[in-house]
Amino acid sequence: MLEFFTDPVLRAPTLGTMLMCFGAGLIGCLAFLQKRSLVGEALSHAAYPGVVLSILVSSLLFPFSEKGAALSILIGALLTSSLGLIVIHQMEKRLKISSDAALCFVLSLFFGVGVLFASRLQIIQPLWFQQIQLFLFGQAATMVDGHIILYGALALFVVAAILFLFRYLEILYFDRGFAKALGMRVGPIDLLTYFLLVVAVIVGMRSVGVVLMSAMLIAPPAAARQWTNRFGPFLALSSFFGLLSGFLGNLLSIYVPRWVGEPHLSLATGPMIVLVASSLCVASLLFSTQRGYCTRMARIAAFRLETASENLLKALYKKREGKKSWWLLKWLEWKGLVENSALTDLGVQEAEKLIRLHRLWEVYLVHMGQGVERVHASAEEMEHILTPEIEQELQALLDYPTVDPHEQPIPGGAR
Amino acid sequence: MGEVNSPAIEIKNLTVHYGKTPVLWEINCSIPRGILLGILGPNGAGKSTLLKTLLGQLKPIGGETLFFGEKLREKKKKIAYVPQRSSVDWDFPINVENVVLMGRYQKLGMLKWPKKADRQAVHAVLDRVGMLPFARRQISQLSGGQQQRVFIARALLQEADIYLMDEPFAGVDIATEKALIALFAELKKEGKTLCIVHHDLMTVRSYFDWILLLNSCLIDFGPVEEVFHEENLKRAYGSSAYLFTETKKLAQARSTGDE
Amino acid sequence: MNPYWGATLTSFFPLFFHRMLDLLTGKLAWTDLASDEIQVLVFALISIGAALIGTLLILKRMAMLANALSHTILVGIVIAYLLVGGVGGLSLNLGVVLIASVLCALLTTLLTQVIHRVLKLQEDASIGLVFTTLFALGIVLVTLLTRNAHIGLEVVMGNADALHVNDLKIALWVAGGNLLFVLLLYKEWKLTCFDSGFAKSLGFSPSAFTYLLMLLTSATAITAFRAVGVLLFLTFLVGLPLTGRLLTQSLGKMLLWASGIGLFVSLFTVALSRHLLTVYQMPLSTAGLASCLIGVCFLLAVLARGVLSLTFTKKPG
Repeated sequence: MLEFFTDPVLRAPTLGTMLMCFGAGLIGCLAFLQKRSLVGEALSHAAYPGVVLSILVSSLLFPFSEKGAALSILIGALLTSSLGLIVIHQMEKRLKISSDAALCFVLSLFFGVGVLFASRLQIIQPLWFQQIQLFLFGQAATMVDGHIILYGALALFVVAAILFLFRYLEILYFDRGFAKALGMRVGPIDLLTYFLLVVAVIVGMRSVGVVLMSAMLIAPPAAARQWTNRFGPFLALSSFFGLLSGFLGNLLSIYVPRWVGEPHLSLATGPMIVLVASSLCVASLLFSTQRGYCTRMARIAAFRLETASENLLKALYKKREGKKSWWLLKWLEWKGLVENSALTDLGVQEAEKLIRLHRLWEVYLVHMGQGVERVHASAEEMEHILTPEIEQELQALLDYPTVDPHEQPIPGGAR
Repeated sequence: MGEVNSPAIEIKNLTVHYGKTPVLWEINCSIPRGILLGILGPNGAGKSTLLKTLLGQLKPIGGETLFFGEKLREKKKKIAYVPQRSSVDWDFPINVENVVLMGRYQKLGMLKWPKKADRQAVHAVLDRVGMLPFARRQISQLSGGQQQRVFIARALLQEADIYLMDEPFAGVDIATEKALIALFAELKKEGKTLCIVHHDLMTVRSYFDWILLLNSCLIDFGPVEEVFHEENLKRAYGSSAYLFTETKKLAQARSTGDE
Repeated sequence: MNPYWGATLTSFFPLFFHRMLDLLTGKLAWTDLASDEIQVLVFALISIGAALIGTLLILKRMAMLANALSHTILVGIVIAYLLVGGVGGLSLNLGVVLIASVLCALLTTLLTQVIHRVLKLQEDASIGLVFTTLFALGIVLVTLLTRNAHIGLEVVMGNADALHVNDLKIALWVAGGNLLFVLLLYKEWKLTCFDSGFAKSLGFSPSAFTYLLMLLTSATAITAFRAVGVLLFLTFLVGLPLTGRLLTQSLGKMLLWASGIGLFVSLFTVALSRHLLTVYQMPLSTAGLASCLIGVCFLLAVLARGVLSLTFTKKPG
């Protein structure tokens, strides 16, 4: 695996894409927090005409310089992408066009301009036309060491900018109005973050292509968001996920062809990186410790288990007849509430607590105006949910009642 | 067939859940005909939910509702709904006349075009709310009060017997509020029943005949002189109500697996 | 021999209208249509469909969902090609392509809804995640299946010059379908787009209309992909209604303007393309040209509105 970092052919694509995904993961967080994740999509498509036009221009001015071409491509892409951003902004603010329409329009129109000029380029400079394909679909495999330096520098620039602005960004994204009230220069900060976004998009297009670029701005932040609520860790985790996707994507693009028995098949790195990032995202959505879907389902199951065992405990306390679930009994035994099918002292305490909560809630509902006949069903549910703090407040509010609405005593109620 | 004297709306043991959490708990009341009912309660009390359930947009877990003694299906055309103003995109390319015309769509059904008689009805109704000069105006150019009047006009066009309105006075100027209250009084005289979700406790006594105090469960229901007093308000809005909201949130968290 | 060979802008239009008249009166057979004419007609039909459903899409703020659809349809088309036989842009089995694309549309919409509502990810990120993943998956599958790392650019860019009378027939059907669904259900569209709460209270189902719109969008996208490619189709879909919106405040007039401009753009694009070829020997992408022309129309509409109305309201803040 180390060869990915040392082998002269592999290291440029690997390190280059890792750095690029790192930067994208970082910047993508800001767009994500503003709920404008799809801006990257529009910007990457808007960069296309810049790429084409700059190749057209540089092929006329510097017919044989490849380095010149690479540089002019970057500049051209930066220019049209920024122009796209300005147009989107103006459409939304001045013409009051909804943002999804503005994004979609700029995306397709700029791309159309690019297509128009590319068709010309195809005729007059067919070799250069091939270069453009690299930007459409990405071509990480042809990156060289120079790219590592370039991407490294740009990633560093992005990190430095964010670190510098960290406190400001934190306040700005949490509460824009508050930030302005503090006198923060919201305009320039916005401008800088958009500029960073454009840079990240341009830089990344080379590795994963126009279409998939936006994935690297969306998947890592979306994944990271599932694991933390704090701004700093959010940024850090997102860039880490980006880094990881970059590495694993390169890995898989080599190994997957081997696994399917076609070791010489060249699988584009871009799609593999995106698939890794998306998998990380979906895994986070499912399994994150706080909000993951499966985690939530597990919590619901645990709650149901607790409810069922508590109901069984009550039934034992009231000496009710009927079949008792064997393994729920075992669960109660394990918790020390039951011994030899009879309640322990602890068990009695727990059961009385449940009954107390139940009857207390019934008193509360009647106090709130519910009919006495109807309060039982709700109390059946709430006895499993009320916390000691809420119990305290209820007791205080209802003045420590001793009987419930059905004239039954409330165990341990009077203080 | 319902009795001639059956109440406008009868709600029996209505329980509506959001996921596993009850949003409306065992609501029981009988709303008589020809009154102006104010539906009050704190945020999250389930007021809008009640309206939507009455309209059949939300399915209750238990209980039933009857309109003039019959099910919703039979009486749907006799019920008009005025949603919250904020639920609509006011930049939509449409003028006042065409918004009101939508009130006729139920009668027309699919695939039929509105006729001249329909347009005349629209003008009549616009006149009643004082918006006739604005008939051709784009809705984006209207003020909050004017928008609300257009909404009411649309409901009037439906020629219903029961009107369900969600916060019609929110963000509306005083003149419009007064004009609307006068209009509602007229409708009441015509025998219509109006159920209005309301948020301003200051105006309750002067506007409504009956009130329904809600906080997921029914706190109280009846004529305003009997029901609108401090103790009930404390129950609905006070610290005990706050406790109620907190426990509701907790129950909801348990049922969706949130921490 | 293409009768438009050597035509310029001035000679294009008279010749075109003359031949169209012949076509209508029966003097000219459908199978004898020149490729330029087919292009104009197909573009025109695409424009009408795009203007109609594009308007509904932007009113419902579903433009980026349409973008997502257009990307995943791309993948569906490519896979359909592979299954039916050979990537080559030649005659396609429309049935297979249609089904594959509708399935992709449904898959995209469904997955986006699941990720948004069940897994609770914000909507913009859900859309972005789903379509980029499907797109990446599509590329990988295609590479593995064809042992070839390059997908035909044609699917992305379209190739107007390869349009055939068959495409014209398909375009006619789809445009007709769009017209039918939009006009027949016109007031229902207005109702469900404007006020879904009220619509539900009257017994209509806004979500059914949303799904119908998605299906119409994917059907129209398929007709378009051969002519302009799926991405540039979006310029028609969004650009035409936006231009119409700048010129009028009424929904009906908006649809008329959007369709009208679309028809004009279709005709002028092909004429201009021919002109550039004849006079400057520059063969350019017709699709790109159409896209740019729509942009120009939009710009003109902005200027027109700026001149007519004195207030360009700025949103506060």
